[in-house]
Amino acid sequence: MQNSSGMHENEAAKSGRSSVFVVSARKRKLQKISQKSGEGTLLLIASFVAIVVLFIFWFVARDAVPYFRLRGFQEFFTSSEWYPADEPPRFGALAIIYGSIMVTLGSALIAVPMGVIASICLSDILPFTVRQYVKPVIEMLAAIPSVAYGFFALVVFAPLLQNVGGPILMWTWWVIAAPVLLLAVIVASELLTAPIEKEPKKKVLHLVSALFLGSLALLFLYFVGRHLQGLVIMSGTNALNVSIILSFMALPTIVSVSEDALQAVGRELREGSYALGATRAETIIKTVLPAASSGILAAVILGIMRALGETMVVWMASGNSSHIPDPFFNYLESIRTLTATIAGDMGEADQVTGSARFHVLFAMGLLLLVVSFVSNFISERIVVRQRKVLSGQ
Amino acid sequence: MNLGTRKLLDRSFTALGIGSIIIMGLALLVVLVPIVSNGIGALVFRETVEHRKLLLSEFHRGDAGDLEKELVISNGYRQKAFDILAAFDRELEQMEPERQEVYRESYEQVRTALRVLLGPLPGEELPELTRFRYGQTRWDKAEEKLHDLLYEQKWDYSNPDVIAKPNDVSRASIFAGTSLVRLFPYVEENIDRMMMPQWTIYWGFITDSSLDSHFFGGIWPEIQGTIFLAIGAMIFAFPLGVIAAIYFTEYAREGFLNSLLRSANSTLAGVPSIVFGLFGLAFFINTLHVSESKSVLAGSLTLAIMILPTIIRAAEEAILSVPKTYKEASLGLGSTKWNTIMTVILPAALPGILTGGVISLGRAAGETAPIIFTAAVSVGTAIGLGDVLSSPTPALSWNIYNLASEHEAAAQIRHVQYGMVLSLVMIVLLLNLSAVILRARISKKLKG
Amino acid sequence: MANALEATERKQNDKSTARDIYLPPERKKVSGGGAPHVSAKNFSIYYGEFEAVKKVNADILSKYVTAIIGPSGCGKSTFLRAINRMNDLIPNCHTTGALMFDGDDVYGKFTDEVLLRKKIGMVFQKPNPFPKSIFDNIAYGPRLHGIKDRKTLDALVEKSLRKAALWDEVSDRLDKNALGLSGGQQQRLCVARTLAVEPEILLLDEPTSALDPKATAKIEDLIQELRGSYTIMIVTHNMQQASRVSDYTMFFYEGVLIEHAPTAQLFTRPKDQMTEDYITGRFS
Repeated sequence: MQNSSGMHENEAAKSGRSSVFVVSARKRKLQKISQKSGEGTLLLIASFVAIVVLFIFWFVARDAVPYFRLRGFQEFFTSSEWYPADEPPRFGALAIIYGSIMVTLGSALIAVPMGVIASICLSDILPFTVRQYVKPVIEMLAAIPSVAYGFFALVVFAPLLQNVGGPILMWTWWVIAAPVLLLAVIVASELLTAPIEKEPKKKVLHLVSALFLGSLALLFLYFVGRHLQGLVIMSGTNALNVSIILSFMALPTIVSVSEDALQAVGRELREGSYALGATRAETIIKTVLPAASSGILAAVILGIMRALGETMVVWMASGNSSHIPDPFFNYLESIRTLTATIAGDMGEADQVTGSARFHVLFAMGLLLLVVSFVSNFISERIVVRQRKVLSGQ
Repeated sequence: MNLGTRKLLDRSFTALGIGSIIIMGLALLVVLVPIVSNGIGALVFRETVEHRKLLLSEFHRGDAGDLEKELVISNGYRQKAFDILAAFDRELEQMEPERQEVYRESYEQVRTALRVLLGPLPGEELPELTRFRYGQTRWDKAEEKLHDLLYEQKWDYSNPDVIAKPNDVSRASIFAGTSLVRLFPYVEENIDRMMMPQWTIYWGFITDSSLDSHFFGGIWPEIQGTIFLAIGAMIFAFPLGVIAAIYFTEYAREGFLNSLLRSANSTLAGVPSIVFGLFGLAFFINTLHVSESKSVLAGSLTLAIMILPTIIRAAEEAILSVPKTYKEASLGLGSTKWNTIMTVILPAALPGILTGGVISLGRAAGETAPIIFTAAVSVGTAIGLGDVLSSPTPALSWNIYNLASEHEAAAQIRHVQYGMVLSLVMIVLLLNLSAVILRARISKKLKG
Repeated sequence: MANALEATERKQNDKSTARDIYLPPERKKVSGGGAPHVSAKNFSIYYGEFEAVKKVNADILSKYVTAIIGPSGCGKSTFLRAINRMNDLIPNCHTTGALMFDGDDVYGKFTDEVLLRKKIGMVFQKPNPFPKSIFDNIAYGPRLHGIKDRKTLDALVEKSLRKAALWDEVSDRLDKNALGLSGGQQQRLCVARTLAVEPEILLLDEPTSALDPKATAKIEDLIQELRGSYTIMIVTHNMQQASRVSDYTMFFYEGVLIEHAPTAQLFTRPKDQMTEDYITGRFS
C-alpha cells in the first residue's frame, strides 16, 4: 500500500498528468492537520463538561476541607446538635443527614411502587392512543418548577394536612389497604384449601377460611384506620408532606427511565411467556420484570437522587427543625435536610467567608455531591450491564 | 391456583397500573387547579375605590375626574362612620375612668380595623409606608377586614387537652349601650358604597414594578429577571451543548476517553441543584470574580452548567435520529464531513435540537437553588440590559420562595404569591408546549 | 432408479428454462469505451479481523455497465462501497492490495477522498433525497464545489434532471420539497443529483430494491440511457435485472470473486459450477 502510493507520486510526476483526486503531499498534510485540529477543537469543547465536573468537585471540596480541618469529622457525623450561631457554635449534622434520608426514603416508598407500576402500564397495558395522552401528563409533572411544588406544599397542602390530616390518612389507608387485603384473603384462602381433594368438604372449608380471614382483615383495617383518624398533626410542614410532594417530583424520572428499560425487553420474551399460557400479569412479573430489573433499578436510583437533591420543597415545607423525630419513624414531625440547610444558612454565613459556619455548608454540599456521584456511577454501570445482557454479550 | 383467581389477580394488576397513572393525573390537577384558580385572582378581581386611588397616585393611571366624583360619594358614606367615631370619642371622654379602661383597648382595636379597611382615619398623619396609606384595594380582602371589624377573635384556652380554637365575639355586643354600637350595622350595610368594588383585569400585575415590597403593584422585575437569567444561560449552554453533541455523535471513537466524557455528562446531570449554587458561589464569584457579588452573569453561568447535560442529550438524540442515508448521500456527492454536518445533518436535526433547547430554557427559568447564592435578590427594581454583568436581579422562582416563606406579611399577600407561581408555571409550561408545537411544525415541513 | 433418472432430467430441464429467462438482449458496442477504468489488484477489505472481500482481481471497463450479483452477505455491496471509499464511515474497516481508478490509487496516501467521491457518484438502496426542495437537492453538489451563479445552476439542474428522465415530471415544481415525490421519482432524483457533480463512474447499490415494478423499469431504462456516457456499476439481487441491464457481470460468493465475464456468457455458459448453481437457483 505505502509502496504503491509512493510509486504513484513518482508516476504522476513523471507523466506530468494532473491527477483527478491524488493531491500533493503538502496539500494532503495540510488537509490532515486542519482536520485533526478541527476535531481537536470539538473534543476540547466536548470535554468542557468533564472539566466542569472536575471543577465542581474541586471547588466544593476546597471550601469543605477547611471545615473538617477546623472541627474534625466526629461532631459533624455523630452529633445532632446544630447550633451554628451559638458561642461556641455546634455543627452536629446527624439529624440533618437523617432528615435527608428520611424524606428520600419516604418519597421512594411512594414513588417507586407507583412509578414502576405506571411504567409497566405504559409499556405493556395501555394502548398506544391512551399512552399519547399520558405522556404529556408525566412531562408536565416533570416540567413544573420545584418552587411551585414547594409553594403548593406550604400554602395548600400543609394547612390541609394540619386541619384534616387524620381523616385524609384514614381514607388513604382504606382505599389502598382494603383492596389489597381483599385480594390477599382470596388468594390465601385458596392456597390453604388447595391440598384438600374431596369436593364438598373443600368448598365448605374454602368458604369458612375466607370468612375467617376476611373478618380478621376487616378488624385490622378498622383499627388501623381509627388510629390514623385519631392522629393529631401539630404542624402540616412535616416529613410526610415533603415525602408526598417529592415522590411526585421523582415519579416522572422513574416512569420514563424504567419504561425505556421495559421497552428494551423484546417482544419475543413476552410472546414466549404468553404462548405457555401465562396471564399478562404473570408474564410481566415473572418474565419481563426480571429481564428489565437492572434498568428499573437504575431508574429508581435516579428518581431517589432527584428527591435527595431537591431543595425548594424541603426548604419551604419540611418545617426546618433540626432534630431526629421521636420515634425515629414519625413522619408527622418537622425535620430538616442537607439541601435546605445549605440554602437557608448561607444567607447568614455568607458575609464571614472563612468561618466554620460557611465551610460546613460546603461540607454538606460535598456529602451530597459524593452521594450523587456514587449513585450515578452505580446506575450507569447497571444500565451498561443490562444492555450487555440483553444483547447477549 | 385456579384460573379464576389468576384472572382476578391479572385484572387487579391492570387496575393497579391504571390506578397509579390516574393518581399521577390527579396529582397534576390537584397541584395546578389551586395555582391557576388563585393565580388568576391576582389579575382578575374586584377592585375597590382605594385601588383606583392607588393607581392614580402611584402609577398615574386612570381618570382623575371620574375618581374625584367617586371619591365624593364614597367619602360621603365614610364621613358618617367617622362621625360615629367622633361622637364616641366625646362619649369616652365624659366617662368615668374605670369604664374608660373597659372600652379603651377594644376601641383601639376598632379604630385599627377601620383604618385597615378604609385607609388612614381623619386627623391622622399620612403614614410612611405605602401599605398603610390606602385601605383595602381588593374587595375579597375588604370583606375579610370587615369581618375583623365586626367580630373580635378570642382564643378558647379553657380545655388544656385540645388545641385552642378561635371564637368570634361580636363587637356590637362589647359596645352595647354606647353610641359606637351604631357603627357596626352602618359599616356592614354601606361597605360597598364606601369601597365601590368593580370587576377589573389588572394587567399591571404583570407589567408594573412592585410597591412597598409586593404589597401593591406587579411583578415585572421578577419576570424580567427570570427572562434574563434563562436566556443568559441559553446563550452559554446552547452552542456549547450542540457542538459537544456533534462531537459525541459524529467524531467520537469508542474508547476510554469517550466513555469518560459520557460518564462526566451523566454525573453532571445528577448533581443536586443546590450544589450548582455552591459551585457558582465558590467559582464564578469567589474565584473568577466575574462580578463583585451576585449578578445575572454569575447566575446565568451557573444555570448554563446545570442545563448543559440536558441540551447535549437532546441534541445527541436529535442528531442520531437523522437517517444515515442523508449523510451517505452528501458524502457520496463529494461533500466534506464538516460540510455534511452543517448543511444536511444539523438542518434535519434542528426540530429535536430546538425542542431540547426550549425545554432547557424552561428548566433554567424555573430553577431556584442555583441562583440563590449567585443571582437572586428579594427586593429590587427591574434592571437594564446594561446591568446584567454586575447587578443581581429579582427572579420569579426566588421571590415565590421569599414572599411565601420569609416575607413579614406572607399571609396577607397570598394573591401576589399565587400570581407569581402562576406566571412561572405558565412560562415553563408554555415553553414546553411551544417546544412540542415547534417539533411538530418543523418535522412536518421537513417531511414535505 | 427410474424415478431418480426422471428427477435429474427434470432438473436439467429446469436449468435450461432458468437460463432462458436470463438470456440477455443483444448489445451494441460502446464507442470510446472499454479501457480499464477501475482495477482491483489483490484487493481485500476487512471489518476488523474479518475479511469481507478476499483478494479481488478485476478490471471494470469504462462506459460499460457492470453488474455485481451474489447471495446476501457475499461482499458485493462492500466491494462497491469501497470504490468511492464510503466504507471509511465504518469504524475498523481497512483494505489491503490496490484499487486503482484511472491509474491512481484510491487508497493512496495522498488521495483526497472528497475529490474522489466527486468523480465516483453513488446511488443508494433506498432513495435518500435531502429534506430540501428538488432544486436544492440537485444543486447541493455543484454548490459544494463552488458554483454559486444562479444561471449556471439553473442550467445544470435542468441538464441533470433531463439526463435522469425526470425533467418533464418535475419542471413545474422545482421549489417543492423532494420528499413529496414518489419513490421512483425520488430515486431518479438521486441519480440526477449524482449526475450534477459530473462524475465519471456511477455506483448503484441495489437502486431498485425499494421500488415497485413500474419505477424499476424506468430506472432500468435510465441505466440504458446513461450507458456509454458513464461507467456504471450496479449491485443487484435480481438476476434478471443484471442480465437485462449489464454488459459484464461479476459473481461474488463469500467475499470471493468467483466469475467475472460478459453477461451473456456468464448467464448462458458459466465456467464455474458455483455460478451455475446460483443462477439456476440452487441457493440464494
